[in-house]
Amino acid sequence: MKRLIFAGVGVAALATALAAQTTPSHEADFLTRIRRLTVEGRRAGEGYWAPDGKRLVFQSEREPGNPFYQIYALDLTTGDTKRISPGYGKTTCSFFRPGSDEIEFASTHHDPKSKQYQQEELDFRASGKTRRYSWDYDPEFEIYSYAEKSGTYKRLTNARGYDAEGSYSPDGQWIVFTSMRDAYNRTLSAEEQKQLEIDPSYFAEIYIMRADGSGQKRLTTVPGYDGGPFFSPDGKRIIWRRFDTSGLIANVFTMNPDGSDVRQITDFGAMSWAPYIHPSGQYILFASNKLGFENFEIYMVDIDGKKEPVRITYADGFDGLPVPSPDGTQLAWTSTRGGLTDGQIFLAQWNHEKALAALKAAPLRVRVR
Amino acid sequence: MKRIALVFLLAAGFMRPALLMPVAAAQQTRAASRTRTAVEFLASDRLEGRDTGSPGERLAGDYIAMQLARVGAKPLPGHRDMFMPFEFTAGTRDGGSNLTMRGGGGASKAFRGTEQIQALSFSDDATVNGPVVFAGYGLVVPESAGLGYDSYAGIDVKDKIALVLHYFPEDADAKTKAALARYSDLRYKALNARQRGAKGLLIVTGPRSPNAGQTIRMTSDTALSGSGIPAATISGAVANALFEGAPKTLAAAQQELDSGNPHVAGFALPAQVDVTTKVVREKQTGRNVVAYLPAANPTADRPWLIIGAHYDHLGHGTRGTSLANKDEAGQIHHGADDNASGSAAVLAIAEKLSKTPMRRNVMFTLWSGEEIGLVGSSAFVMNPPVPLNQVAAYINFDMVGRMQNNKLAADGVGSSPIWARILERANVAAGFDLAANADPYQPTDSSNFNQSGLPTLFFTTGSHPDYHRPSDTADKIDYEDLDRIVDFAAAVIQGVANTDMAPQFTKVDPPQTGATLAGVRVTTGTIPDYTTEAKGLLLAGVVGGGPAEKAGLMKGDVIVEIAGQSITNIYDYTFALELLKADTPVKVVFMRGAERHEVQLTPTGRR
Repeated sequence: MKRLIFAGVGVAALATALAAQTTPSHEADFLTRIRRLTVEGRRAGEGYWAPDGKRLVFQSEREPGNPFYQIYALDLTTGDTKRISPGYGKTTCSFFRPGSDEIEFASTHHDPKSKQYQQEELDFRASGKTRRYSWDYDPEFEIYSYAEKSGTYKRLTNARGYDAEGSYSPDGQWIVFTSMRDAYNRTLSAEEQKQLEIDPSYFAEIYIMRADGSGQKRLTTVPGYDGGPFFSPDGKRIIWRRFDTSGLIANVFTMNPDGSDVRQITDFGAMSWAPYIHPSGQYILFASNKLGFENFEIYMVDIDGKKEPVRITYADGFDGLPVPSPDGTQLAWTSTRGGLTDGQIFLAQWNHEKALAALKAAPLRVRVR
Repeated sequence: MKRIALVFLLAAGFMRPALLMPVAAAQQTRAASRTRTAVEFLASDRLEGRDTGSPGERLAGDYIAMQLARVGAKPLPGHRDMFMPFEFTAGTRDGGSNLTMRGGGGASKAFRGTEQIQALSFSDDATVNGPVVFAGYGLVVPESAGLGYDSYAGIDVKDKIALVLHYFPEDADAKTKAALARYSDLRYKALNARQRGAKGLLIVTGPRSPNAGQTIRMTSDTALSGSGIPAATISGAVANALFEGAPKTLAAAQQELDSGNPHVAGFALPAQVDVTTKVVREKQTGRNVVAYLPAANPTADRPWLIIGAHYDHLGHGTRGTSLANKDEAGQIHHGADDNASGSAAVLAIAEKLSKTPMRRNVMFTLWSGEEIGLVGSSAFVMNPPVPLNQVAAYINFDMVGRMQNNKLAADGVGSSPIWARILERANVAAGFDLAANADPYQPTDSSNFNQSGLPTLFFTTGSHPDYHRPSDTADKIDYEDLDRIVDFAAAVIQGVANTDMAPQFTKVDPPQTGATLAGVRVTTGTIPDYTTEAKGLLLAGVVGGGPAEKAGLMKGDVIVEIAGQSITNIYDYTFALELLKADTPVKVVFMRGAERHEVQLTPTGRR
């Protein structure tokens, strides 16, 4: 998964994570009528709303023959689901283009070896062996847009290195995304070369381009994984998460769409990532493992990060990738709650008024540094 | 629902008066509900708990047939009406079994009366005579089970009477006990004795076991015939008489065996006996109610679909699966949730589907005999009115009226690849917090269809403190959510009813541990929650005054370890219970919310 980097939600570690939590649950203050939305397939995640709130586009492994994610759009009125991506290769990170019939996502389907990789992964699974989950920063990942009416795909990026994690501006004219092209388009030092072999995400930076793929421009230059960017509801800011060079600590940042005026929002000293701004523009939802390395919970924080973040979820396992509906009344997120081994998309009613009240009551953040 | 929970619950004496009734249900509007009328009628005093074969069951069946006819459902092709009767054993009692011992000295002693000798419920009726051979615990464990253990090794019981101990070696290590417990079922011991050529089998509860020296209570057994060997339980006194003149006493022999050492052998006893066994089986007739809505233009591929629920319940709770406390004993067990709720859901679904054209004939089966061992649905599957290879799937409803936190369990999702897709689609509109469990091996009618190779789906809202008690009444049903389940299930059913291709069947491997009730001699007084997949055993409640409550456990706790055995699911738990001893405290580790706790729990004996 994309806007997600960490090394897996280990069920074995759950008990430890559980033991670490002692707070009574306040989940019902903000989330009601919680329910699992996706059922089919081994795993699903990263659900993003259509601008009219009537559909959700997400990634899921649910078709025989392909052990990697494909992109699907779910109609929230009829329950019908259709595949958006071509069906082979690896895909991730989809997003509806406002004012258009297009959906963007990242895919490797142009790679002649993509079907071979599918078979290799299936064979590996059939062997009964398991590996610790890790996201594969396949350098073949490129960003595509799919026009629903014509059923055609258009390739928007063409640089070696992982290009993914794209999302549109509210006016549909821009895409902000993550690229690791910096590791491939210049000569690396010996140390950098070693770093690339260990963890290519070190080279990930935030880029922006027009919706047709033109005018690609780099926005960040700090070593460590910069990723998961989204526009603010008014289109005036970009929110994303920045890892330190160790890959263990991440924080939420915002900046102008030209890369200027970078501001740090969170400071948990943990892995805080997958930020998304509520449509009201007043606060940010994000996930953090503050309570234990593999115990991710969803938090919210005021838009400027002046106050202490407020915890939202209290369930066992992984809760992350929160995305509020365009009208701000629902929340879609990815979770392993209820004893799931792999993530599925959950949906709940979101209580905006209580969220505002809780943010108001939150203490000012104590600056550690 | 049939009582798998039997294991975890405690006999009547420990219960408290009924819990306060929830008020939410009472506030719902009567007129709007599509299920309330049927639940209220089926759970009314007039039907007296709908015990299989009783006048109340007949009345309930008549009502159901009338409702099905009202919505346009018809008797099956070739049938004049909707009733499909089946015969069952309503009860068993000893019919005067006796034993006469002829010792070496010529003196003879006769024993009779159920305190001294009582046939086992599955015994053949016969008179046999011959020498007695003590065969230890009468256990035969195949090498494939990881433990070679054969109580008959080195002894000859052919044409003789075998005498064996109840249960399994008391002092063996946990692993050995676990392996042996699986094979300690009385029926299995009888089978082993018969296969070794024994003429008859006597079973005694040894002096070192729970309920020492007492004859084993005759359990309800719904089998229509015996198991091919006369088998009886005898008291400790009778066994001691048979041991007179033997090289060691019964107590000494048991002590040797209790180490679990597989090389401790049995031996011949000096006594000769005449044994007469007689089981009186009272046969009665129950009725399934079966009707269908014909498809306008049926598909060629498996043109039938079956939707079912059982409508029988426990009557006055006299058959032994009641959990009524002392104050409630003998009262009408209303069974509003179990399973007037499922029956009402099926009727409401029939009404809904009657207004929609479908491509499969939808058969509605309202079972009787479920509470006494899935007897009605078994009879149907054994002698199906439509060949089962013409049936696309079976969908079951059992206890769907007590929804909590919007949670609905769908079990058996692993039995076909189609289920997850159909459930996901239908639930987008319905909005349940759906717990989709792969396991089709559930203690309800759908398991009979799964065993016949059909995809099955089973909906339930889970157990609660009124389960199998008179207090399972209509006023506690959540009709609003029951109606939501009807709409959701109708959408799921249409997903199967309107496809050309029948859903593919996937065989789900039975749970590895395969624990049975055979070896469980104790109760902990816990009520498991079947609707939620937790890493451990989530409690839907605890029995008032039972060991779990005394230990401080409560609803919502998740047991993760008991007596050093880690618990990840209900099968692990059943398995762990086999190893417990009554009145011997064990450590229980559980999660309450996020906190981990340890307590001492003292199981009590189960009879």
